[in-house]
Amino acid sequence: MSNSMTLAEILERRGVSRRGFLKFSAGIASLMAMPPSMIPRIAAALENARRPSLIYLSFQECTGCTESLTRSHAPTLEGLIFEAISLDYHHTLQAAAGYGAEAARLQAMEENAGSYLVAVDGSVPLADPGYSTIAGVSNVDMLRETAEGAAAIIAIGTCASFGGIPHANPNPTGAVPISDIVKDKPIINVSGCPPIPTVITGVLAQYLTFGKLPELDDLGRPKAFFGQTIHDRCYRRPFYEKGQYAETFDDEGARKGWCLFRLGCKGPVTYNACATLKWNAGTSFPIESGHGCLGCSEPNFWDKGSFYDSLSATQWGSPANLGAAALAGAAIGAGSAMLARRQQKKAQEKQS
Amino acid sequence: MSEQAAVLGKFEEYIAHLGERAPAQQGSDDERLARAKQAFRAGLDGAMAIDLECCIHCGMCAEACHFYESTQQGKYAPIHKLAPLRRFYHRELGPLRWLFRLFTRDISLKELGEWQEFVYNSCTMCARCDMICPMGIQISPMVGVMRSGLAAAELVPRALAAGTLEQKQQGTVFGTGAAELVKTVDTLRQQGLVVNLDKDTADIMLLSTAMDVNVYTRSLAGMVKIMNGLGVDWTLRSAAFEATNFGMLSGDREAEEAATRRIIDEALACGAKTIIIPECGHAYAELRWEAANIHGQPLPFEVVAISEFLGRELQAGRLKLKSSAIKQRVTYHDPCKMGRLGGVLDEPRALLDALGVELTEMESHGATNYCCGGGGGVMLIEGAAMLRQRAFEIKMRQVDDTGADAVVTTCDSCRTTFITGAQNANWHTSVESLVELVAENLED
Amino acid sequence: MTLLDFARGPAMQWALIIFTIGIFWRLVGTVLLYRRRDFSQPRRKSGLPDGARAIVMRSVLPPELEHNIVFQHVTGYLWHIGYFVTVLFLGTHIPFFKSLLGFGWPHLPNAIVMIAAAVSLAVLVMLLVRRMLHPVLQKISTSDDYISVIVTILPLITGLISYANIGFIKETNLALHILSVELLLLWFPFGKLMHLFMTFPSRYQVGAAFGRRGVKA
Repeated sequence: MSNSMTLAEILERRGVSRRGFLKFSAGIASLMAMPPSMIPRIAAALENARRPSLIYLSFQECTGCTESLTRSHAPTLEGLIFEAISLDYHHTLQAAAGYGAEAARLQAMEENAGSYLVAVDGSVPLADPGYSTIAGVSNVDMLRETAEGAAAIIAIGTCASFGGIPHANPNPTGAVPISDIVKDKPIINVSGCPPIPTVITGVLAQYLTFGKLPELDDLGRPKAFFGQTIHDRCYRRPFYEKGQYAETFDDEGARKGWCLFRLGCKGPVTYNACATLKWNAGTSFPIESGHGCLGCSEPNFWDKGSFYDSLSATQWGSPANLGAAALAGAAIGAGSAMLARRQQKKAQEKQS
Repeated sequence: MSEQAAVLGKFEEYIAHLGERAPAQQGSDDERLARAKQAFRAGLDGAMAIDLECCIHCGMCAEACHFYESTQQGKYAPIHKLAPLRRFYHRELGPLRWLFRLFTRDISLKELGEWQEFVYNSCTMCARCDMICPMGIQISPMVGVMRSGLAAAELVPRALAAGTLEQKQQGTVFGTGAAELVKTVDTLRQQGLVVNLDKDTADIMLLSTAMDVNVYTRSLAGMVKIMNGLGVDWTLRSAAFEATNFGMLSGDREAEEAATRRIIDEALACGAKTIIIPECGHAYAELRWEAANIHGQPLPFEVVAISEFLGRELQAGRLKLKSSAIKQRVTYHDPCKMGRLGGVLDEPRALLDALGVELTEMESHGATNYCCGGGGGVMLIEGAAMLRQRAFEIKMRQVDDTGADAVVTTCDSCRTTFITGAQNANWHTSVESLVELVAENLED
Repeated sequence: MTLLDFARGPAMQWALIIFTIGIFWRLVGTVLLYRRRDFSQPRRKSGLPDGARAIVMRSVLPPELEHNIVFQHVTGYLWHIGYFVTVLFLGTHIPFFKSLLGFGWPHLPNAIVMIAAAVSLAVLVMLLVRRMLHPVLQKISTSDDYISVIVTILPLITGLISYANIGFIKETNLALHILSVELLLLWFPFGKLMHLFMTFPSRYQVGAAFGRRGVKA
């Protein structure tokens, strides 16, 4: 596909007014915590941006990330921008299949060498590359091949960022995140199971505006969206502070909208933007709907015990372990006492 | 009072020189330490183990101790007396001994020597600390174990060591044997008293003490008079009349057991059903509560203190006293070994009540009373004289606060401590013997 | 594995195992030691009523003994009660006990628990300073006393810090708090914290021993 049209031209064609476009730019600026002076710059950059080529690779994934990103109940600007990007390769969305689809990928890589973006969702199996192949090419090979000429890689979703559900105990496919395989390219981890659509758009907008990646935390996630915990922005926080919790899913506390800490909410240790941006265009997020945060944007969240065990309920082992420990202790103690008694008896006999 | 004070003065002279007869050191340092450890090993038992495990170093025991209270010196804290014993327990008998041996140091003879001051001079084994400890630790019996260790290591204060040696080797206390008893008995007979000495059999075997024979003769005379008046079948036995037990005071187990066994054997020999303890605190503790264990089985006779016996006779209506004979306001000092550690709390008060005295109790009385400061042999330790006097000041204050004119007690040791203490402090409250008061006020 | 994962997982498992082994070892090893038989004639048939009585009543001393120790007695109970209120009745603690025991219980509002925790901490620190300055305590204190009080104070401090959201991020604060509890569990069998268990037989003993002689202790 050719990239002759600028983003502005495409948007105009779609009926987005100049005013609407500027409004969108302002929205992006606000989202990225940038000052109002940045708005014209964002607008100018987006306006003149040649549609960057984006190659989207899907590996061991459930397609939830694509669903999240592309779901649009009504035409949203996010959706439009996404379509406006030259999406040169995407399993689920592309019409082509087979050799034609692969040829499209290779052509996009050649034409935009050094400047195309790669988005990846799903983890990569290493135990046996045969676990996941596309057109006969293993995930790991396709990733390496495609990443070579890329400007940057966006790992979309927790699977691509950290290994996700395939990586969970016992990890039979040897699943690894993208960052374990690609070492020489900038990688942004946009974790979440799935991630919030606006986060993707924000990251792309940042990249298109500044030509570089946003500031990342030590897990490679953009700080603008993953810099605070759910807990820190949760609207139910006053109840946490006071000590008012829902104890079951339909008790009085639950109906009053009290804190879900004791129903297993992992909000205090989960970094994401759910509490502020929310889901479904700002409709709600899990806690607001009455279910505790699963911690889905964190590594290994599947392996941290039950989603319904609160953070205070530690993984302390089993009663059998402690029973054995008690018996062992008692046995040693008894032995020690018996030896001491012999000592005492001898001493008493000597005295008398 | 002054006549007894004069006799007491002579006695004090005797005590002052007692230490000169202390035995010379025999064992090497290593032998002495080893013997001390064996004594600790033999003396500690499971109940003491729990107590030693339990201490949280809160220091409340000090707030019950007359020696700490009167000096405010931290070293006199009761639990501090047990520090070497506690460490020994943790290193040798406790369940975690292998760990403790890595992180603590062994006890040394030098350390035990330093502890002589804490375990003898500044402790009367009065057990008041046992009453306050929030953990319920019984410190006083463990001081006894400490003493047994120090005794095995030849670290007993000289006066006590001398007394123990005499009782061990000659069977006498303060040079008072059968001959001296006979002399005193003769004196009493000359005064018109019927004194049963060496009857072949008797229901009751009466004991006495060197102090009674030499100083507080009126107390012995009082017991005799009352028993005759009651018409009971009683006797003194010259082969075993001495209730004082130096072994118990010094911690010399061998001496302690020998003296007690002599009394048991004599009681068995005369077929006694009851042994009566004279006005002597530690004798009661020893014979009432420890003798059966030395005997290895329950005793075939009962052991009662004279005040206990008299209280019983009073309640049975056999003892009749002249009421309102004493006009003074009076307070009663419970000897620690008879009251708190003996359980003889009600009988003395019943007797005083029957005598019609106006009894005002001290703030700390009965099971919580303050020790006079002279018990547990401390009265004999010259180096402890200053400490004793300081501690006695608490007792004086307690008595003064009652407004009493006289203190009644029923222990020679306490009585002596009161008399000498009063002299030293110019204190004019008189001290009376319960037995003498009863004997003077029998209804004819 | 994050620090919190470690604290909630293997660290807790091992701390509980070592705690359990240590407690049983020390208790059984002490209780089974040789005990002397007493052949003297008791004044009461059984020591049980006196012993049981002493377990409770040793906390209520006669006034002539109490007036020398009121300060220590009151502050001692104050911080102990505050500590147990905090540990047992903070809303976020109860799931921990529920996962261990299989049952939970109602909790108190955070405001009340935080006051209890703060008072407990203040009193503990004050008593620590007292221990370093008092003539008796200077004489009798050992390293066990200092280790035990520090190990007791750390969960309070880390808990309050976590609650107040100062110091590190929540995850780290939580991890440090749980680790400090594990440190307490690890130290428990080896120091004077064992008085939690030992007090009961010890008080029973003094009650029974004195009761045997006809004296209320």
